Amino acid sequence: MSNILSTSILSSGSYLLQGNEACAESAIRAGCRFYAGYPISPSSEIMESIANRFPECNGTFIQMEDEIASISAVIGASWTGAKAMTATSGPGLSLMLENIGYAIMTETPCVIVDVQRAGPSTGQATRPAQGDVMQVRWGASGDYQIIALSPWSVQEMYDLTIEAFNLSEQFRVPVFLLCDEAVGHLRERCIIKDDVEIINRKKAKGNPPFGQDGDDLVPPMPSFGEGEKLLVTGSTHNEYGFRKTADSAVQERLVKRLSNKILLNQDKITDTEEYFLEDAEIGIISYGISARASLKAVKVLREKGVKAGLLRLKTLWPFPEKVIGELSSKVKKIVVPEMNLGQIVREVERVSDCEVIRLSKVNGEVITPTNIVEGLQTNIRS
Amino acid sequence: MYQDIIIAGFGGQGVLLAGRILAYAGMIEGRHVTMFPSYGIEMRGGTSNCTVIISSDEIASPVIKNPSSIIVLNKASMDKFGPALKSHGMAIINSSLVKEPYKRNDIDMLYVSANEIAEELGDSKVVNMVMLGAFVNKTGIVRIESIFNALTEILPAKRQNLLKINQEALKRGAAAVK
Repeated sequence: MSNILSTSILSSGSYLLQGNEACAESAIRAGCRFYAGYPISPSSEIMESIANRFPECNGTFIQMEDEIASISAVIGASWTGAKAMTATSGPGLSLMLENIGYAIMTETPCVIVDVQRAGPSTGQATRPAQGDVMQVRWGASGDYQIIALSPWSVQEMYDLTIEAFNLSEQFRVPVFLLCDEAVGHLRERCIIKDDVEIINRKKAKGNPPFGQDGDDLVPPMPSFGEGEKLLVTGSTHNEYGFRKTADSAVQERLVKRLSNKILLNQDKITDTEEYFLEDAEIGIISYGISARASLKAVKVLREKGVKAGLLRLKTLWPFPEKVIGELSSKVKKIVVPEMNLGQIVREVERVSDCEVIRLSKVNGEVITPTNIVEGLQTNIRS
Repeated sequence: MYQDIIIAGFGGQGVLLAGRILAYAGMIEGRHVTMFPSYGIEMRGGTSNCTVIISSDEIASPVIKNPSSIIVLNKASMDKFGPALKSHGMAIINSSLVKEPYKRNDIDMLYVSANEIAEELGDSKVVNMVMLGAFVNKTGIVRIESIFNALTEILPAKRQNLLKINQEALKRGAAAVK
């Protein structure tokens, strides 16, 4: 089996890949060997690529009857020890949310790719949007933290898919690769390297699988079939998985730990990139395809003598509030271009000291550098 | 070096494949490339276009408003992208489907009767390669050999039998603008 695994991975080199194809290849590289899904534009090429490639690497691919069944199968597979993934778009994600809550409560590592299209509901199947930022954050019931990453290139569809698996294994939490149709369908060069860090969930025989005092907030995770006593429930449970649905102390301890295992590690998790911010008076904060247009806009603005810079969010959740707070004390204005009517911008407003300007585009077309430059100039003049 | 091109037509004309091959050829020549598609939910008949950027530097935005070149395969695309073309830009126009001369005097226009050429070759599906051959020869954006190599790489194993007719179509397109 190890032979099959090593030969099935794309060899190092330069490839002209579609974002969705890069995501599938990256999942294979990360060790994903279980995929259950239901096709939906604009994510379907991920499923198609996985279905083509899994027979070569001993993976299990199942096309399920719907998205509810898909995420259920993914959670089950993860508890047998597999790294498991599904991919969908906004309407499919809506169907998955109940069991995503179950994955959060049971601390099940899994990767969910949302290739966002214009919504609400069926919306525009082949058009890009960034409208699911809050759906992934708050869609399930109760209090919790999840992780969401936002790739802006085909290269990052590859790099961040591996990162998503690593984070989900490390923190025992569902991780979202929150991309948009534009990045999913974009084709560009993807450089694949042999040397990649892969993290696997930790094991400790005999340890309780749902947290105990003195551990690092992420308990070891046994699999079914390893001989451990294992109870998995979405109801409130103690460290051994026993249901404690009337115990206020257990409930409080569990819910706080589920949040704190992410929040207390957020400096390790969050990742951002800075462009031309050293002397910037206007800070653009953006993510995904909107950040590509933003970078071009920064260059155009600089040519016009406007001191603009870009802070790009590779991590959306947990929200990189520290770095944004620091930026807001250095620049005069912050501008947030995004392809929704204002989702990340409210978070930016929450943590910023300076004026924050919203730049929205929701017509199903990609935001362009011209949109940003013109939007900004209108705003500065007024 | 920086070039951005929009290739546009209706679904089924091979617009996206042409864009993919052009981008691949750019990558073979060591350039940074992006190919960004835009299409409807129809397989045939809807509108389809893609933006290809070939650059010696990293490409910030893969989406642009005013391209420096357009390759236009049908009338609807001419109406949509003709006005967006930059001043002094280059338009390669499929005159088989765009019958009337386009009214702009600040751009270079080249008319190629791509459908007729494709039909002479015996396969109406190679219209896209005729247009691509014309564009590459006119602009020299990449070498035609790189396009041939890209075509070989991109065509799946079961379609390699189509290599020859596609190469023929590229050559005929190139010859049409000499």
